[in-house]
Amino acid sequence: MSLLNISKAEKPLNRRKIDWAPYNFLLPSLILIAMINLYPLIVGVMYSLQDGTLIQPGDFAGIQNYIDLFRMSEFYNSLYFSAVFAFFGVIGSYLAGLGLAVLINKDVWLKGFFRVALLVPWIIPSIVSIVGWRWLIADENALLNEIITFFGFSSINFLGTEGGAIFSVILIKIWRSFPFMMVSILAALQTINNDLYEAATIDGANRWKSFLHITWPSIKGISVVCWILMTIWSFNDFDTIWLLTQGGPINATENLIVLAYNYTFIKSELGIGSSIAIVSLIILMGLAYLMLRFQEED
Amino acid sequence: MKKHKGIRKTILFFSLIVITFLINLPIITMILNSFKSNSEMRTSTHILPQNFTLENYLHLHTQTMFWTQFKNSVIVTFWGTLLSIIVAAFAGFAISRFRSTFISIYSKSLLMLQMFPIILVLIPLFIMFRHLELINTLYSVIILYVTLHLPFAIWMYKGYFDSIPRELEEAARIDGCNRFQTFIKIILPISGPGIAAVAIFSFLFSFNEYLIANIFLKTEDVMTIPVGIQLFMQQYSSDWGSITAAATLTMVPVFLFFLFVQKYFIAGSAAGAVKG
Repeated sequence: MSLLNISKAEKPLNRRKIDWAPYNFLLPSLILIAMINLYPLIVGVMYSLQDGTLIQPGDFAGIQNYIDLFRMSEFYNSLYFSAVFAFFGVIGSYLAGLGLAVLINKDVWLKGFFRVALLVPWIIPSIVSIVGWRWLIADENALLNEIITFFGFSSINFLGTEGGAIFSVILIKIWRSFPFMMVSILAALQTINNDLYEAATIDGANRWKSFLHITWPSIKGISVVCWILMTIWSFNDFDTIWLLTQGGPINATENLIVLAYNYTFIKSELGIGSSIAIVSLIILMGLAYLMLRFQEED
Repeated sequence: MKKHKGIRKTILFFSLIVITFLINLPIITMILNSFKSNSEMRTSTHILPQNFTLENYLHLHTQTMFWTQFKNSVIVTFWGTLLSIIVAAFAGFAISRFRSTFISIYSKSLLMLQMFPIILVLIPLFIMFRHLELINTLYSVIILYVTLHLPFAIWMYKGYFDSIPRELEEAARIDGCNRFQTFIKIILPISGPGIAAVAIFSFLFSFNEYLIANIFLKTEDVMTIPVGIQLFMQQYSSDWGSITAAATLTMVPVFLFFLFVQKYFIAGSAAGAVKG
């Protein structure tokens, strides 16, 4: 299952001639990636070292943008929020995904139906999920508040207060992410031989012990990969936040990506925007490196 | 013992029904709301529509750009999916079958690319595309969708091609096919499930994408649906009827496509998404 396990490929039939066939196969993708990923990446690094606006990139400014950035409280605020958002997003979606995977892995009626119905939050467009959720949490009379007040609590201003907005974006992020966790864990669960559980029960193991000694070892690998992937995806998330709160109220739900978007495309400060994007890249590469290391070990 | 098991099975079943209902509640209420009039939505606390109406859909149909934007979404999704399943198939095959330092570096870089903050490349591309006068055209979005989906698609194909035995190709090569012919005539025809898995992810990515479309598509007549709905939400925030109707219609192609290729999706997300 390892990522780095490059398959044993056939040896070229004629060893002396360079075999160009593989490169012909790779060429279309290489051209596209060079044009859309590689070249802009280099230009992006240069922009982060320049003044200027989105309309007119300016002169070389050295690391001035980074110095400015590291002096901005808004930057630390969004760094912090990115971490909070990713942390709770990952934990919440993992626990929900794990729980549901365990439940639908049991012998249950309409298994196929549940497996599809629980994927809905993942497959629908982000804009649709936000339209759906907005109605539930938008104001005092929204359905969720009706339910809260029904149970005797006072209604919550989900989108107008900082705490409420942070809670809402994380909740919706979890809602949109748990199906991925569920599907991945479910695939690992299905490789477990059910006889093991019966044997464990006969040997007197309780449920927690069976989980710890039978279930966990077989889902551990996939779990770590899912945590890291989801951390990366949460860090990169724009849609959930932008469509729901646009980073507000004030800056409460502004992550690094939203911050970079704001500086580049709203305030037209090209240098600052690019330097935020570069900082995000470095953080994400760190996370990606962690994942590759883990998979090599595995 | 047997009866005990039956009760537990029933409890499990009904708990799952309740959980599934609650999880889908935002979608269910949205669909139901789209059949209420705006005034009913504001005043009534019933979840079910009391006066079932199609006026929101009618309004959407006659007064808005919805169908134009729907068409744009279909074009972008069609080309995004088609091109990425073709380009990625060749690359995936090369990575699965050939071995060299370059290829192993390339395949690892693809993994890294998937973790890229897209915003980083969008900034230079915006400036570049403005010079090329590609802003506000569907081309800009299509080329980005194809390319950004490539790393994932290539890795998914690689996983699939790895599972096809090499003996097949060897036989074809002995019969005089070159590599390209072998790939087109032998491998692709038996790669249906692999292609389907890549196609569904590409479809969902292109159809659902918001950030890129939001940056590159500026006027209402070229917008795809996600950007169109967002703009509509800003301009007519009180017209929830049309907003929910538009969102409901937007889900239809997703569901239809998903139901067709559902089994490949689940197999693919388990194998490909987690690996890549």
